[in-house]
Amino acid sequence: MVCDPVEDAVWTQLGAMGRKRLITDSFQVVKRQRRDPDTKEGSLQPEAVPVPAESPTDSSLHPAQLEMLKQFDLSWEYGPCTGITRLQRWERAESLGLSPPLMVRETLLEHEGDPSFMHCLWRDYPL
Amino acid sequence: MFSEQAARTAQGLLAPPSAEASTFARVPISTYTNCSQHFRLGERSFNRQYAHIYATRLIQMRPLLLERARQKWGSGIAVRKLCELQTAEKCCIVGTLFKSMQLQPSILREISEEHNLLPQPSRTKYIHQSDELILEDELQRIKLEGAVDIQKLVTGTILALYGSEREDGRFVVEDHCFADLPRQLPRRGPSTDRFVLLVSGLGLGGGSGESFLGMQLLVDVVTGQLGAEGEQSCAAQISRVILAGNLLSQNTQNKDTINKAKYLTKKTQAASVEAVKMLDEILLQLSASVPVDVMPGEFDPTNYTLPQQPLHHCMFPLAGAYSTLQLVTNPYQADIDGVRFLGTSGQNVNDIFKYSSMEDYLEILEWTLHVGHLSPTAPDTLGCYPFYKTDPFIFTDCPHVYFCGNAPRFQSKELTGVDGQQVLLVTIPDFSATQTACLINLRNLTCQPISFSGFSADEDEGEMEISH
Repeated sequence: MVCDPVEDAVWTQLGAMGRKRLITDSFQVVKRQRRDPDTKEGSLQPEAVPVPAESPTDSSLHPAQLEMLKQFDLSWEYGPCTGITRLQRWERAESLGLSPPLMVRETLLEHEGDPSFMHCLWRDYPL
Repeated sequence: MFSEQAARTAQGLLAPPSAEASTFARVPISTYTNCSQHFRLGERSFNRQYAHIYATRLIQMRPLLLERARQKWGSGIAVRKLCELQTAEKCCIVGTLFKSMQLQPSILREISEEHNLLPQPSRTKYIHQSDELILEDELQRIKLEGAVDIQKLVTGTILALYGSEREDGRFVVEDHCFADLPRQLPRRGPSTDRFVLLVSGLGLGGGSGESFLGMQLLVDVVTGQLGAEGEQSCAAQISRVILAGNLLSQNTQNKDTINKAKYLTKKTQAASVEAVKMLDEILLQLSASVPVDVMPGEFDPTNYTLPQQPLHHCMFPLAGAYSTLQLVTNPYQADIDGVRFLGTSGQNVNDIFKYSSMEDYLEILEWTLHVGHLSPTAPDTLGCYPFYKTDPFIFTDCPHVYFCGNAPRFQSKELTGVDGQQVLLVTIPDFSATQTACLINLRNLTCQPISFSGFSADEDEGEMEISH
């Protein structure tokens, strides 16, 4: 290898493939309030959009159902979705006469107790 | 009430003592139901934002407003959402009002380093000429202009506006309407005279003992220990007493001890401890004789956010032994002898007073009834619990008696709604300042003040009077 110390420093900075080194490579970010201890956890990069950590087995089994629930979260007619469970939001929409889709409720009752189903899209973010 | 009876039996005071003492049995309460369940909070979770309460408020009130709008401007009007607005098209929009006020205390401005500002001094009114009104619905907001009284309206009101959008993006308002009074259940009042006494602002622990004599006179009148037989028989017709908030004085909220470190204040007792003991003794005298409903107020030891939960019964070891003592929420709703009472300890009216040009407490009280919401400024400037399912402050049915406590003076008015509702509006004055309470006759829904005054330093002849 090259023995010049300056070049050496430059070489190590760039790394093998010119990849930028981030602080999160050395210090992993641990998210608070982890409900799934067995999920794979990627390091949180402040600029990039974080990947919602879902249990790999569940998401592969019911991608269509989770997508439907995600659409239910994102539809503005039923009010805000953060801070309450999907079932609470469904029941609120029902009592206010907004006729939310029954499929959503059935899906939620099937998977009661599973946080990736019960809680809304933004569950990993505090308030 | 008292004066006619008193004149007739005044000679009774100077008569020699009789063999048997005359007793007067208090009128029994025939029906009482506490309807404040929706103001009780079970487990409290603050992990929510206030967007939910605003969303449910709009969704719940929108159908009422559309109905009123169609009644007022014709059933053929175009109702548009803000995202569907087209320029120069006359239409009706419904949404939540937001008033951006320059003088509104903002925590962000206070802690902003670059401005280096001192905290804003507290004012009585925070309105300013440059305030602007903005209407918001679920998706968009739009600035308002035209025939809308910017100074009078406050944030959080839901209303319907008729007008058109201009090219520059502002909505020019031609007319507006509110949800107005809801339907009223028929009143099945008693056939004989029965009175409910409303008092607020006892202000115990205030440091000055001026109001103590008045308070003791009040208790003695209600328990029938004052006056001749005429007055006592009248007092027997008082079937209930409602204490509407601020039982403790503002002085018990001693800012110095609250902000001091705990080790410095270890041996000092909070001022509210003594005050609560005094309150317990007064409630003991009252509840031994008459059913009492105690509502908490702004300075009372309960939670700060609306709806305030009842005071804890462990604070009243003496009076708590009586089942006639009822500790209730603020706001409070109850059916007393077939008459629906609804009232607050005055925080809602006080908050609207600060952010609106309306000067009169009775006017503000009437306005909240027309708007269809108990306190539209919650949660913006008045603390409120983050409800998510429903907004419990929306009027579901019209009360027969609507009161607010801790007003600067006594006022009452009979209001007739568009659908024939009859409401008695009462602003109860602060007892520690005015020594006045209110008596409401349940038979014909009339209200009269009753005031007590004792010896004062500058009077030549010490005169005790009970005037009404």
